[in-house]
Amino acid sequence: MIFLQLFWEYFKIGLFTIGGGYAMLPLVTQIVAKHSWLDEQQLIEFIGVAESTPGPFAINLATFVGNTVGASTSLGVWGGLLGSLVATVAVVLPSLVIIIVVTLLYDKFRTNRYVQAALSGIRPVVVGLILSAVLSVGAKVILPDFSFKHIAEGADRFNWISLVLVAAFVPLSQIRIKGKKIHPIYLILFSAALGLIIFGAFGVQQ
Amino acid sequence: MQTNLDKQSNTCKVSLWQLFWTFFKTGLFTFGGGYAMISILEEELVSKKKWITSRDMLDMLVIAESTPGVIAVNTATSVGFRLRGVAGALLATLGVVLPSFAIITALSFFIRAFAQNSWYRAAFTGIQACVTVLVLNAFIRMLSQMERSVFAFVLMFSAFAVALFTDFNVIYVILIGGVLGVVYAVAADALRKRRNKDLPLSSSELDVGQQPDIGQQPVDSEAQQLQDSEEEDK
Repeated sequence: MIFLQLFWEYFKIGLFTIGGGYAMLPLVTQIVAKHSWLDEQQLIEFIGVAESTPGPFAINLATFVGNTVGASTSLGVWGGLLGSLVATVAVVLPSLVIIIVVTLLYDKFRTNRYVQAALSGIRPVVVGLILSAVLSVGAKVILPDFSFKHIAEGADRFNWISLVLVAAFVPLSQIRIKGKKIHPIYLILFSAALGLIIFGAFGVQQ
Repeated sequence: MQTNLDKQSNTCKVSLWQLFWTFFKTGLFTFGGGYAMISILEEELVSKKKWITSRDMLDMLVIAESTPGVIAVNTATSVGFRLRGVAGALLATLGVVLPSFAIITALSFFIRAFAQNSWYRAAFTGIQACVTVLVLNAFIRMLSQMERSVFAFVLMFSAFAVALFTDFNVIYVILIGGVLGVVYAVAADALRKRRNKDLPLSSSELDVGQQPDIGQQPVDSEAQQLQDSEEEDK
């Protein structure tokens, strides 16, 4: 049953993500690919939506994946609703239990050398996982047919305009106005406008 | 053990409804998640409502970041639980999740309905490029907070290579990282002790390997000692 599977996978994601939001991305990417629930492009596009809608990024992502999986069943719209509910509850549940336990044992947790040692190993691993997400997202956008698992092939389609856009947004996202960086929402809206102009109004083909 | 939090929850009575409503608003007006939410919560809970002290807020952040799960949810659960027990934890979490859930559920249907529309595709081709940069920035942010040691960088690049080039389950990569962290700390500790045997011992170094009494030690001492032993090793 697909909803049970959805629950179990998202429960594991909630249980094994340390560092929130983007740290969750590598796990989601892998699970979504494993069950072919969404294609990677859909996921990347939704990251843009999740960043520009209210609420925690990871919850938005869980709700969307759940909804998409549920809506693909024979239940249709209601399946989508059920899927959203299942994925969201599953991703939150481990937090609820763990936080309550940890809050009760806070002082022990904070000073326990094994907990701290394990975290000192997990933190760099998570950073490494996110770096892999940077490259796989970047490759998907710029070289849609390329995969790091089969390096020799897939370099035929090259979206050079996307490469230019990525290169332009790197410095843009670092600009500070009155000491504050531009909020991601504005960057996303701006990139959407650029997309509409370049690919829509001018009909440029990648 | 009587922590300052127990005292806190005795002195201020926050209604469950207030708790839910505060986190609902936070969920509704925060874009991006975890870290964006923290500054808003600090303003709301510490400065305005004075439900918790800024020290408690810091403790909760430490928990939220170093336990599994979504940071925003962890924070909500943590605040809710401290103020009103299990019911508070449930309602604060429900509050912070509900806006996301409702908005994204409604939006999902539109996203799929328009997915093949050519204008939609044009806009999202632009957005994809922006998302690449957002993920890159998340990486840079986390890298800047990462501990600077050879051990950490070796782990980082190993995890990176395994995740990028193989189909090895990411969950196992994380678990292995945790185990290696413990092994490394224990090994560094053993080495340190052996070295100390040859030197005249100072009393403060003697109990490095032992569990300190809870609440007696300054909060950071244990982590600090771990870091010290790592740095000495290099």
